[in-house]
Amino acid sequence: MAHAGADRPIPPGSAPRRMSSGMRLLLGNEFGLAVLILLTVAIFALTLDGFTSPFSIYTIGRQIGIDTMIGLAMMAVIVTGGLDLSVGAIGVCSAMFFGWLMQVMGVPVLVAVPLAVLFGAGLGFVNGFTVVMSGVHSFIITLASMSIFFGVMIFLTRAAAFNGLPPQVQAFGKMRVLQGISPLLLIAVAVCAALVVFYRYSTLGRQMLAAGANARAAELSGIRTGRVIVACHMLTGLLAAIAGLMVTARTGAAVPSMAGQLGQDWLLPAFLAPVLGGTLLSGGRVSVIGTLLGATFINIMTSGLLLMRVGEFWILAFLGVMLLIAVLADRTRQIFLTSRGMI
Amino acid sequence: MAATRDSALTRAFDNDWIGPGLVSLIAVVAISLAQPAFLSSFNIFVLMSAISVNMVIALGQLVIIGLGQMNLALGSIGGLVAISFAGVIERYGVPVPLALAFALGIGIAAGMSGGYIIARTMISAFIITLAGLQIFKGINLGITEAQPFYGVPEAVKAFGQASVIGPLPWLMVPMMVCSVAMWYLFNRMRIGRHILAMGSNPQAAELSGIDPKATIIWAHGISGLLAAIAGLMLVARLQIGQPTIGDDWLISSFAAPVIGGAVLTGGRVSVAGTFFGVVIIAIITQGLVMFNIDPFVVQIVLGALILWAVAVNRLREVRIARVQARGAGA
Repeated sequence: MAHAGADRPIPPGSAPRRMSSGMRLLLGNEFGLAVLILLTVAIFALTLDGFTSPFSIYTIGRQIGIDTMIGLAMMAVIVTGGLDLSVGAIGVCSAMFFGWLMQVMGVPVLVAVPLAVLFGAGLGFVNGFTVVMSGVHSFIITLASMSIFFGVMIFLTRAAAFNGLPPQVQAFGKMRVLQGISPLLLIAVAVCAALVVFYRYSTLGRQMLAAGANARAAELSGIRTGRVIVACHMLTGLLAAIAGLMVTARTGAAVPSMAGQLGQDWLLPAFLAPVLGGTLLSGGRVSVIGTLLGATFINIMTSGLLLMRVGEFWILAFLGVMLLIAVLADRTRQIFLTSRGMI
Repeated sequence: MAATRDSALTRAFDNDWIGPGLVSLIAVVAISLAQPAFLSSFNIFVLMSAISVNMVIALGQLVIIGLGQMNLALGSIGGLVAISFAGVIERYGVPVPLALAFALGIGIAAGMSGGYIIARTMISAFIITLAGLQIFKGINLGITEAQPFYGVPEAVKAFGQASVIGPLPWLMVPMMVCSVAMWYLFNRMRIGRHILAMGSNPQAAELSGIDPKATIIWAHGISGLLAAIAGLMLVARLQIGQPTIGDDWLISSFAAPVIGGAVLTGGRVSVAGTFFGVVIIAIITQGLVMFNIDPFVVQIVLGALILWAVAVNRLREVRIARVQARGAGA
C-alpha cells in the first residue's frame, strides 16, 4: 500500500477515490489516538488525585520520551517488513559501552555520547549485513544476535553496573526545562521531527519506504534494496542506542539488567507504540507522530492505572491486551476503509 | 524424472537428523575423553533431566514452526501453567490429578485462544503471541506477585528427582511420549500433514481442501499443551511453582528445531533432528560448566549455534534446489 503512507504525499491518481486531506486526517490513527489521549487525560485529571501534579507530569513525560525512542527504533526496521528482536540488547550494550567509555577510559561525556550512538549503529549494521547476506528473515538473525550481543556484554562486564559516571549524566536525567519538562522528552520530540523530514524529503528515507512497500518494484526502479535494508537496521541500532543512553541518564548508571534478560523487556513497548500509531507490520508505511502518540497513550494509561492502585504486574497484562486491541482495531479499520473504497 | 526428484528429496529429508546426530556424538566423545566425570551417573542424570524438559519445550515451538509461524508466548504459557498447578494445590488443596487436568486445560486454552485470534484475523502470529506473552506473564505475576508457590506435593517432587533405571530420570518418560506422539502426528496423522502443508504453501493447502483456520487453531492448541507439559515437568524438577519458569525458553525453543534442520518458513520439521538439537545445546551448556567456563558464554554460544544452523540449512536448501533442477532437466 504505497499510497497509504501518512507521512508523505499521495501520488496523484493512485488512490481509487481521492479523499480530501481533512477526511484523511479524521480517519488516520494519529487523530483517533490524539482524541483518545485527550479523553483519558481529562478523565484521569478529574478523577485521580495527583495525576496532574508537577512531579507526575514530569515523570510521565520522561518515560514517554524513552518509550518513543524505543518505538521509533523498532519502527525504523518495520518499514521494510522486517523486525529486530535485538533492540533491547543493542540499547543495553550501547549504554554499557557509554558507561565503560566514561568510567574506565575517562572519555568526556560529550565525546562518549556520539561514540555510543555510533556503536549502536554498528551493531545494527551487523544485523542488517547478516540479514541481507544470508537472505534469512530478520526474526531468526536478530534472535541469534540478541543472544550474542547480550552474552558478550554480560561476559565483558561480569554483569556489573557502571555506577561512577560523571555527575552531568544524572544531572541531565533529573533536569527540568521550563519547570516540568524532561530534556529526554525534548530529545525524543526532536528526533521525531528529524525522522519526519527524513522519511518525507530525503532520498534514503523515501527509498526505505519504497523498498518496504514493494521490494521488487523498488529494485526494478533502481533502488539497491540490500543497502537500504542495511541502512534501516543501522538506523534502528542508532535509535536504540539513544534510548539506552536516555535510560542511563534517568538511572544515573549503566545497568546491564535495565532492559531485562536479553533486553526482552523492551520488546513490548517497541512494538506497541508504532502499532498503536498505525505503522503497518508488513512494511511500507510509517507514522513517526503516531509512534510518539502511541508512547504517550501507553504511559498515560499506565500511570493512571498505577494511581488507581492497580498492581504493576496486572498492568503488564493490561499492556498486552492493549496491543491486541490495537492490532484488531487497525485490522477492522483497514477492512472498513477498503470496503468503502477509501484506500 | 519424477523418481529422481523424489529420491533426492526423501534422502535429504531422511538426513535431517544425521548432521546434528553426528555432532552430538562427537561432542559426547570429545568431552568425556577430556573430562571423564562427564559420564558419571550423576552428570548423566542432570543432563538427561535438562534434555527431557528442553525437548518438550522445543516440540512446542516445532509445531508452530511447521506451520510457518512463531510462538513467542510459549514460555509465558508454561510459566502460567506451572504456577496455576502449584497454586491450586497450595491454596485450595486440589488433588494432584485434578490439578494436572486443570493446568493442562489452561495450556490448551491459552494456546487455542491465540490460535483463534490469528486464524480469525490473519494478523501475524508474531504480534498476537507477543501480546499473549505479555498477558500470560502479567497474569502470572499478578497472581503470584513474583513469589513462588512452595506447596508442591511429595509425589510430584519425587517424580522430578527419581530415576527409572540407573541414571535415567523419570522426566524422560513424558519427553519420550511427547516425541513419539509428535512424530506420529507429523508423519501419520491428518492434522500433522495439514500443518506442514499450510507451512509450505498456504494457498495450495487451502485450494486442496484444508481448512486453514482449524489447522492454525489446532496447531496452537498443541503448542500450548506441550508448553503446559514442559511447565509441569519444571515444577517437578525445581520442586516449587516458580513464577520465572518460561522466561528463558525463547532462544532455546527456536535454536533446537533450527539446529535440527527445521525451515523457519514452515513445512519442514524433524522431530529426531530437534532431539539432537536439544542434545547439542545441553552438552555444550554442561560442558562449559564442567570446564569452569563462564556460564555467561552459554548465551553467546547459543546465538552462534543458531547462526551456524541457519547457514547450514541454507546451504542444504541450495543444494537440494540444484539437485531438483538437474532432475527436472534430465
